Amino acid sequence: MRYRALSDVRVVDLTHFIAGPYATKLLADMGADVVKVEPPWGEGGRMLGPHRADREDRGGLFAFLNLNKRGVTLNLKHARGRELIAGLLDGADLLLENFAPGTLAALGLAPGELMAKFPRLSVVSISNFGQDGPERDGKLNDLVLFARGGWTFPVGERDREPLTPPGSLAQYVSALYGAVGAMQALAARGLGRGHGQHIDISILEATVATMIYETVTFQYTGIQRSREGKRFAVGPFLIVTLKCKDGYAGLHCVTDKQFKGLCDLMGRRELASDPRFNTALNRMLNNNALLEIVEEFFIGRERKWLYCEGQRRAIPLVPIPSAAEVLEWEQTRARNYFETIDDPVLGTIRVPGTPLRLTSHRAQASRPAPQLGEHNREIFGGRLGLSNSAIDALMKAGAI
Amino acid sequence: MNTIFGGRVRVLDLSMGWAGPLAGQMFTEMGAEVIKVEDTHHFDWWRGSLSMAPPEMQPIERAAVFNTANRGKRGVTLDLASARGIEILKRLVKISDILVENFSPGVMDRLGLGYDSVSAINPRLIMISMPSFGGDGPECNARGYGNTVEAMAGVTGLTGYHDGAGQHYTLSNALGDPVAGLHAVFALMVALREREDTGRGQFIELAQVESLIPFVGGAILEYQFTGMVPRPRGNRHREHAPHGIYRCAGDDNWIALACETDDQWRSLAAALGMARLAEDRRFEDASARKANEDALDAELSSALAPLNADDCAARLRDAGVLAAPVNSAAAVMADPQIQSREYFVAIERAVVGTHLYPGAVARIPDTPLRADAPAPLLGEHNRQVLAETLGMTDEEIAELERSGVIGSSPRQYRAA
Repeated sequence: MRYRALSDVRVVDLTHFIAGPYATKLLADMGADVVKVEPPWGEGGRMLGPHRADREDRGGLFAFLNLNKRGVTLNLKHARGRELIAGLLDGADLLLENFAPGTLAALGLAPGELMAKFPRLSVVSISNFGQDGPERDGKLNDLVLFARGGWTFPVGERDREPLTPPGSLAQYVSALYGAVGAMQALAARGLGRGHGQHIDISILEATVATMIYETVTFQYTGIQRSREGKRFAVGPFLIVTLKCKDGYAGLHCVTDKQFKGLCDLMGRRELASDPRFNTALNRMLNNNALLEIVEEFFIGRERKWLYCEGQRRAIPLVPIPSAAEVLEWEQTRARNYFETIDDPVLGTIRVPGTPLRLTSHRAQASRPAPQLGEHNREIFGGRLGLSNSAIDALMKAGAI
Repeated sequence: MNTIFGGRVRVLDLSMGWAGPLAGQMFTEMGAEVIKVEDTHHFDWWRGSLSMAPPEMQPIERAAVFNTANRGKRGVTLDLASARGIEILKRLVKISDILVENFSPGVMDRLGLGYDSVSAINPRLIMISMPSFGGDGPECNARGYGNTVEAMAGVTGLTGYHDGAGQHYTLSNALGDPVAGLHAVFALMVALREREDTGRGQFIELAQVESLIPFVGGAILEYQFTGMVPRPRGNRHREHAPHGIYRCAGDDNWIALACETDDQWRSLAAALGMARLAEDRRFEDASARKANEDALDAELSSALAPLNADDCAARLRDAGVLAAPVNSAAAVMADPQIQSREYFVAIERAVVGTHLYPGAVARIPDTPLRADAPAPLLGEHNRQVLAETLGMTDEEIAELERSGVIGSSPRQYRAA
């Protein structure tokens, strides 16, 4: 869905793949005027999976991450391409990019020079390691990022290799820091406390930022969390992923009240006063014994029954859904969460809706992600005032 | 210090745990005044349990996670079950810009603090509610926390070993919480900007699970395109091999590495001194390596087992291969890149002393973010906020203390 809260904000979007495009999607969903600038051969993210069987040319993720943006093509290595980008930046509030550090400068688009030329402009750079430091030019992928940032070490079986988290979760976290950073730049400018600023987001730091259970708790207690298999950790709680009759369920039993509820659910009220489990401290000391009891109970029950009966007792106990079940979940349906998009290439797709539900005004339906160069004439003609024949000549020259 | 807000924005933070408090904490980074209100009967559960240590140890002041997520806030306690507690809270509502809450749906209404009530008191107020699964819908009353939200968003269902017989695992960072908190900060920044035009606040609802589902958008689309339910891939990749985590020398030391091109594969073999592998027909190109991945992993496992993970990762990185040690908490904090950018900040706090905490992520040169102030003790700023912000007299405050409307001793509340 698309709101119009940021409809007066102009964004030039040079991002590609995931971390940058999700940041600008957040802005676009709030109504910012986002012009996505790609090379004439398209950004790499267009090819990311998943793919519809006969449409290798347009990845599903691209169609999701670039909703509500308009798309133009520009060759930044071409002199005319650089003139056009300057035209787009004139009057823009934000430039977002996630190239390797130094790339913009090498193209003659150093952030400092751009901001001097365009005083309204702030630049948000999202990069693997930040704009400085000994490894600023290093490469990453998700597996290596999760490992280095600390997410992987405590996950998995104790006697096996650590288990990486799935997908590109940390890239999305970085995107959020990028979108917040963009709003911070606008706020500072709006309050007269800063002009254009170059905001530097390190994906590695954004990844480490969420690891407070590890980094801070470790200093307090001196205890380094190790892999505890199905358990989140051994503590005065039982946060665990349990096999049940028809799949897995997630249990979060932390407080005394939740523990009493769990005992009641299992028909074992006496456990609440059992000296092994009657306090948080005792539940930590006897965590293995407690887990055994709970495991045995869960294995004979169905997910749905556990969810209903657990929640009835105010225990945070949930079935663990597959991606398919998330899509069909009654709760998301009732709230019209997934949005149906009529994509020009992929046809009808259902995508996660915007999680922010503003009430200041009504949201509109999203606009599909742009096809390559779809808005060249609209933007170069309409905004920059180029004639059709001038645009044709630029295309012929390979500038757009 | 030139901060973004320079104290000109006031946030009333009624939230507990991590998701809501993170939003408040990130506003302190921007120089907003953030007042954290805890109920005298139900202090923030992230402080932990009173039963973990004797009272003189002050166990609820020793929770690392609470002390991280509430940095820079002013801490106030109020008995929200009493009419006077609510009345004081309403006086704070009147002078605040933002109200953050993540109670279960309906609690704010029961307290007389639903959006209609607070906006009548202060039409410029922006209120954000962060229910786990949404404020409406058939399952809106279901309880969820970081890990359960992570499950319901579909993340846990994708987390497992490639040969793991179905067992799923929960992530190490209660991901649902920080993700919801970050979305909340973004939403509030948007609403503050909109208020400059409209002059009015608004109500924002952010269902925590809805903020995490976009992160698995790829899997949700994959299901639509293929009709197949995406399964956990473990440490492996759909196309590339090697792509895994291998044991190195030492007690619990591992290396993560991946080759996304044939060139990287040849570089890897050379860097490990295993030219033999580069010539092995079973591994000659990406599809061959993928087809023989078990054999490939066995070769790499034996080659890597005697090596030092840090040295090996550095050598592989120099050779252009994607690699990193699987860092424990201590290793993350000692990472040379993390250190060189001085990401962690030292903060001294009462009861616990000085520790390093994660700093602000965004580097904003003219209006830098500040993440270097400690979290409040329970009720630490009662006097300051009631006297300076609400203009109460010493006598009024003493009377509130006597009648238990405010206080700073958790045991007292238990008796109350």
